[in-house]
Amino acid sequence: MTALVNPGLATELARSDEFNADACMNCGVCSAICPMGVDVEVRKLFRYVLLGMEDKVRAETESVFSCLLCKMCEENCPAGVHIAENVRTLRHHIVRTTFGLGEG
Amino acid sequence: MTGRKIGVYVCQCGGNIGDYVDVDKVVEDIKGDDDVIVARSAMFTCSDATQQEIVQDAQEQGLDALVVASCSPKLHTMTFRDVAKRAGMNPFQYTQVNVREQCSWTHTDDKTGATEKATRLVRAGINRTRLTEPLEPIVVETTPKSLVVGGGIAGLRAALGLAELGLTVFLVEKDAKLGGRVAGYGAMFPNDRKGSDLVATLEEKVRANPAITVFTNAELMAKGGSFGNNQVTIAIHGDQLETIQLDVGSIVVATGFDDYEPAAGEFGYGLDGVVTLPEFKKMVDEAPGLLQYQGRPVKTVAYIYCVGSRQDESLEGAHTYCSRYCCTSAVHTAIEAQKLAGDIRQYHLYRDMRTYGKYELLWNASREKGSLYLRVPDDEPPAVEKLSSGGLKVTTKDLLTGGEEIAIPADLVVLVTGMVPRENADLVSVLKLPVGIDGFYNEIHPKLRPVETIVDGVLICGACQAPKTSSEAVASGLAATTQSGAMLKRGFAELDPMVAIVDNDACTWCGKCLEACPYDALEQVEVDGKQVAQVIRTACKGCGGCVPVCPTDAIDLQGYTDAQIRAMIDGLMEVSCS
Repeated sequence: MTALVNPGLATELARSDEFNADACMNCGVCSAICPMGVDVEVRKLFRYVLLGMEDKVRAETESVFSCLLCKMCEENCPAGVHIAENVRTLRHHIVRTTFGLGEG
Repeated sequence: MTGRKIGVYVCQCGGNIGDYVDVDKVVEDIKGDDDVIVARSAMFTCSDATQQEIVQDAQEQGLDALVVASCSPKLHTMTFRDVAKRAGMNPFQYTQVNVREQCSWTHTDDKTGATEKATRLVRAGINRTRLTEPLEPIVVETTPKSLVVGGGIAGLRAALGLAELGLTVFLVEKDAKLGGRVAGYGAMFPNDRKGSDLVATLEEKVRANPAITVFTNAELMAKGGSFGNNQVTIAIHGDQLETIQLDVGSIVVATGFDDYEPAAGEFGYGLDGVVTLPEFKKMVDEAPGLLQYQGRPVKTVAYIYCVGSRQDESLEGAHTYCSRYCCTSAVHTAIEAQKLAGDIRQYHLYRDMRTYGKYELLWNASREKGSLYLRVPDDEPPAVEKLSSGGLKVTTKDLLTGGEEIAIPADLVVLVTGMVPRENADLVSVLKLPVGIDGFYNEIHPKLRPVETIVDGVLICGACQAPKTSSEAVASGLAATTQSGAMLKRGFAELDPMVAIVDNDACTWCGKCLEACPYDALEQVEVDGKQVAQVIRTACKGCGGCVPVCPTDAIDLQGYTDAQIRAMIDGLMEVSCS
């Protein structure tokens, strides 16, 4: 299935000053180092966001919430991506849109 | 015995020769040959100590000719000619015998055979040397003037550099204006200076320099003469055609490139909204605050990289090379576009990003400003189609998302086109420029002689040689300047005297040698009422092409005469190895 690029998602998420998925250079250190062995490649997840592939992002809900926010990945990221913060932003987005919870 | 006094030195080259050729045996074999006064082996003949030893032998024994059996003549002919000179011999009575590349290295499995072959080669060298005559280099006075063909950024900078060296410069530009392609550019990487400003600054200096004469609407029509002294004909197209003759010592070719023109339908080229990088650059340069295309605001731009570069070699006329400037130029243009008002989304569909060197920082900057890069598969190029709604859609696979198929709705698709060689058959034929398989002009050596061509005195620079950024084009223009200076500032040049010579008594002027000569180095003259061939010694390269075609054996090559070649063959055939 061809996914249609939707810049809206990235634009919406980018409202958080901390969200900087576009700094990712796809090296994969984050996935290699994750103590949870989280079943998603962070680099892929962030690209789904950047490309606005909403369905793909939602499909990763489980992994997004499995993250311990230990920041091991962030400490080792050579591109300075705020990975934990980005994950938190994504959680916020999923909670709001998927589970219909408000901003409150 | 001819009364010659020849010194023979056989080199071990460490183990390069000595491990496979019994050097001492070779010396023993040729020691008793006629005219051989000194015969020695040496560990490294090119070392200072051995060179000194040769000079000492020559002075003590009164040697008048020298043979060194060592490596390829390409490596050390000049070294030992110099030794011969220092020892009081004529440098052209030196013979280099190659017993390394053509003997020890090729026969590592057969030491006896290699040793015997080395003896034969050395003997051939001795036989040639016995028949040498003292020669003097051909000294030609050079004309301290340069012709620059092409008034783009490389040609302008070269012209200025040449004038600053104190040479007289003629700058010939085909177009009505100077400046070439850079004159049409706005902000350029890496420092955002406008191309038009850069060129205007250069042109002002060029126009103000009294040593530079600029001809616009002009072309180089013909070139005559020889190294250091060329007569060139320039045609100036005006109300009426005017031709002028100029004397120049060097010619700098800076004729630039053409932009790749995509074929109709190539990545949607021809569809409304599909433009090339140069077209897009112009749109960004001229945007009135907001990026617009045909009156509509542009919100999403998709770039397709490597259009017309790195093409599949199985395609006819494929441009298989990387154009090297386009990645950085597209990235820089994206940054410029982002500076305009309005929120622009930019997607870059690339094969490999080649923003090499310092330009890597621009790539980072563009990503921070929101450009998104998608790595597309080499064998599955993106497809561009027009939507019924009026917009464009680019479909591709993104390898960084594991090959996910993605469709990007775009207002504008930019084809990042590369550089292609400029069609210039007339100039190629006038200057005999060496054209490479990619269509760009070839230098002699990419590292060590990067702007010289096989045509002496003709230099190349800028993007006529290969795709280049403007800074690389200027750097090569200055290299051509330096090389011209090295040739012309001394006022004279010394050429190798190993050139053809005609025996006027034997010559019957049939013209066969003229046809055989690839360098136009022969002409018909009248001597004592007789038509004969005459060698233009400054044009002759000593290739020997004319010698075998002469039906009366009236032409010979100095340094490699028929008699010498026969003697060398005799030396090779002689079976007097002990």
